[in-house]
Amino acid sequence: MNRIKTILTDPLVLATVSILLLLGIGELLSPGFARGDQIIRLLVVSAILGMVAAGQSLVVIGGREGIDLSVGALISLGAVLAGNAMSGSDGGILPAILVAGGVTFVIGLINGLGVTLLRIPPLVMTLGMTGVVQGGLIVLSRGIPSGNAAPSLMGFVNRPLLLGLPGVLFLWALLGLGMWFLLRRTQLGYAIYAMGSNERAAVLTGLPVKLIRTLLYGFSGLLAGITGVVVIGYTGNSFVSVGDQYVLPSVIAVVIGGISLAGGSGNYLGVMLGAIALTLLQSVLTTLQLEFWGRQLIFGGVLLLLMLLYGRTKQLRV
Amino acid sequence: MTPVLEATGITKRFGAVVALSNGTLSVGKGEVHALLGANGSGKSTLCKIIAGTVARDSGSLRLDGGDVSLKSPREAEARGIALFYQELSLVPQLSVADNIFLGHERTGAGGFLDSKQLRADTEALIARFASVAGSGFTADAPVSRLTPDQRQLVEILKVLAHKPRLIIFDEATAALDRRQVELFFTILRELKAEGVSTIFISHRMDEIFEISDRITVMRNGATVAAFATSETDRDSVVRSMIGDVAIRDRVERTVPASTGAPRLQLTGASNRRVRNVSLALKPGEILGLGGLQGQGQSALLQGLFGALPFTAGSIEIDGKPVRIHKPAEAIRHGLAYVSGDRGRDAALHGRSIFENIASATMVREKLALVWPRNLKPRFEAAAASLNTKYDGMEAPIGSLSGGNQQKIFIARWLATDAPVLLLDDPTKGIDLGAKADFFALVRELADKGTSIIFYASEDAELLSLCDRILVFNSGAISAELSGTTLDSFHLTNAAYGEVA
Repeated sequence: MNRIKTILTDPLVLATVSILLLLGIGELLSPGFARGDQIIRLLVVSAILGMVAAGQSLVVIGGREGIDLSVGALISLGAVLAGNAMSGSDGGILPAILVAGGVTFVIGLINGLGVTLLRIPPLVMTLGMTGVVQGGLIVLSRGIPSGNAAPSLMGFVNRPLLLGLPGVLFLWALLGLGMWFLLRRTQLGYAIYAMGSNERAAVLTGLPVKLIRTLLYGFSGLLAGITGVVVIGYTGNSFVSVGDQYVLPSVIAVVIGGISLAGGSGNYLGVMLGAIALTLLQSVLTTLQLEFWGRQLIFGGVLLLLMLLYGRTKQLRV
Repeated sequence: MTPVLEATGITKRFGAVVALSNGTLSVGKGEVHALLGANGSGKSTLCKIIAGTVARDSGSLRLDGGDVSLKSPREAEARGIALFYQELSLVPQLSVADNIFLGHERTGAGGFLDSKQLRADTEALIARFASVAGSGFTADAPVSRLTPDQRQLVEILKVLAHKPRLIIFDEATAALDRRQVELFFTILRELKAEGVSTIFISHRMDEIFEISDRITVMRNGATVAAFATSETDRDSVVRSMIGDVAIRDRVERTVPASTGAPRLQLTGASNRRVRNVSLALKPGEILGLGGLQGQGQSALLQGLFGALPFTAGSIEIDGKPVRIHKPAEAIRHGLAYVSGDRGRDAALHGRSIFENIASATMVREKLALVWPRNLKPRFEAAAASLNTKYDGMEAPIGSLSGGNQQKIFIARWLATDAPVLLLDDPTKGIDLGAKADFFALVRELADKGTSIIFYASEDAELLSLCDRILVFNSGAISAELSGTTLDSFHLTNAAYGEVA
C-alpha cells in the first residue's frame, strides 16, 4: 500500500501519466492531435520551455527561496540581440549566440550578486531585473520588431535533421545529458544540492556557497538567452515581449518535475517531462479555443494544485 | 531580624523533569546574596519563581515574614522585586528617560504622556549615580549616543525606577570587562547602603567573594549549603557544588600522547567570542575544553575551522604558519569540525548518506568530478569503523537514528583522513550505545596519531577521555589541568575561577 503510494506520488510517474492522459484527451477532442508530426511539433515547443526551465531548475535546487523571474525578459533580450546580430544571414549565427549568451549571462550574474552580496530576496531581485531589461529593450528597439532569424537557424529548429527530428531536439537531449552530468557527477552539482538542503552545513563542509549561488543565476540567465536564440529560430523574428509567456510555465515545469521550491531536491529528467506535459496541456487548451486569460487561470491553478500535492508528500517524507 | 525574602522547600517540575526539588533561600535586608550552582542546578528556576515569571508547584515564599503567591512579574514588581536582564533591552533611538520608563510611562491629564514628570524622575535617578554616570548622561540623551558603560547604567536605572527592595542579577557581569564590573559593584554597594537587597548569580568565584555577604549553593535542583562569605573559602564552596562524586574516574590511555613537536599551534587568537587564546596540540593528543557552557569553547573551535575566523593571533600547522579564514581553507589544512547541533550544522536533509559524506571529501581533495563508484568503498569503510547501522549509501540521511546520523557526520571527516579533529559537544542528544562507540573511536584515532580537541558540556566525558583540559571562562583560558589536577574538583574550581 505504501509502495503504491510512493510510486503514484513519484513526480516522474505523475508527469508521464499526465502526458499520456493529455495526449488521449487531445486525440479525442481533435483527431490527429497525437499524430507523429504533431508530436514532434509539440516536442520542439517543449524543448524551448525545457531549456529555460533548466536554468530555473538550478536556481531552485540551490535553495534559499531561489527563483528566477527574469527569464522571460532575458529570453526576449536574447531573441532581440540575436535577431539584430543575424539580420537574416547564416554568418551571423555564431555572433548571435555569443552576444545573446554573453549579455544574458552577465545579467544573470548581476541577479546572483544582488541575491548573495546585497541579500535581496530572489523574487524581488529578479522581478526588478525584469523591469530593467524590459524597459531597456523598449528603449533600444523603440518597440518595433527588429532583426530576422538566419535560414539555417530556422531550419535547425523547425525542419528534420536526423531520423525526422529537428536539430533542436538533439540539442535538448544534449542539455539533458549535460544537466545530469553536472548534477550527478561534478562537485558543483553535489554542492548545489547540499546548499539547497542546508546552507549552513554546506558552508561548514567548505563549499563556496555564495560563489556557486551567483553562478547559478548566471547559468539561468545564459540558458534564457540561448532559449531566446532558439525562440527567434522558431518564430523567424523577434519582438520585445516574446519571452514573457515563459516565466510562469518555467516555474510550473520545475515543480511538475518534482523539484521542491524549498530547494535541495529533484532532477532535470523530471523537469523535461514536466515541460512536455505542460506544453501538451497548453495545446489541449488551445484546441478548446480557450483565450489567453483562461490558459493563465488554468496554469496558475495547476501550479497551486501541485504545491498542495507535493507539500503534503514532503511532510510525509521527513 | 526577619529576612526580606524567605523561600523554603520550593519545588517545580516541567513535565517529567524536576527542575527544583528543594529551593531554599533566605535574603536579609541590605544583603548581597550570591547564588551558586552548576548549569541546571535550579538557580534560574528559583529566581524566576521569586520574580513571578514562573509559578511554583509547592513550598513557601515569604516577603517580610508574610506568605505571598506571586502570579505575574507585574505583581512581583509591585511587591518590590525586580529581575535584571543582562541581554540588552534598550531602544537605541529613544532617550534615556524614555527607555527607563518604557512600558511604565507617566500619564498626566487626559492620558497624555507627562514628559515633565518623566524628566524629573529620570534626573533624580541620575543624580543618585552622578559619580559613575560620566559626561553626556542626561535624561534627554538618546541611548544610541551613550558609551557601553552608560548603557549598562541605563539598564540598571530601568530596574531601580520601580524602587525595588530586592533585585535579582542573573549573570549580570558575564558580559562585562573588569572595569565595568567595578562600576557595577560600586552601584551594588550604594544600593546596599540604601538597604536594597540583591541576589547575585555569577560564575566568577572571585567576584562572589569580593561582593557577597552570604552564599547559597544549589545542586541538582536543591539547596545544599549556605555560608556566610567571611566564614568560608573557595574550596568549601566548590566541594559543596560538586557533592560526593568520585573525584577521579579516568581510564588511563594505553598509548601515551606524543612528546614531539606540536601539530597545531595557536598563539594569541581572538574572535568575537574568545580573546587571546594560545594552545599547542600534539599528534595523538586529546585536548579537552572545559568550563561552564558558552564560555567560548565552541567559538574557539569555529575559529580554528574558519567559521568564526580569528581577527587576531596566528595559527601554525606542523610548524608552518597558515591562514584560515573560511572552512574550505581549514579543511585543506587537514582540520575537521563535528558539531553537536547536527540538524543545524551538519545534516543535508533529504539527501543520501553518500552525499552527506561526500561533501567534505570533495572539498579536501579538490575533486572537480565525482565518481560514486570510486568513493563508495572509502565511505563504507569510514562508516563501518564507527559501527554505523544503515541501509546502504543511497538511503536518505533521515532514515537513520540520531546516534547513527552523528556517526555519518563523523565518517564524513574520517573519509578525509583529517589529522586534526575538532569536536564541538559531539555527543549532544545521542544514545549511550552510540556514545560508547564514539568514545572508543576517539581513543583509537588518537592512538593512531590523530590530534583531537574535544569540547563537551558534560564534565564526566572530558575527564574520562582527555589527556589535558583547558578551562574556559568568559572567552579566555582560565586554567590548564593535566596529570594530578585532572579531576572534577579542579575542573569545577577552575570553571568558576577568575581569568588567570
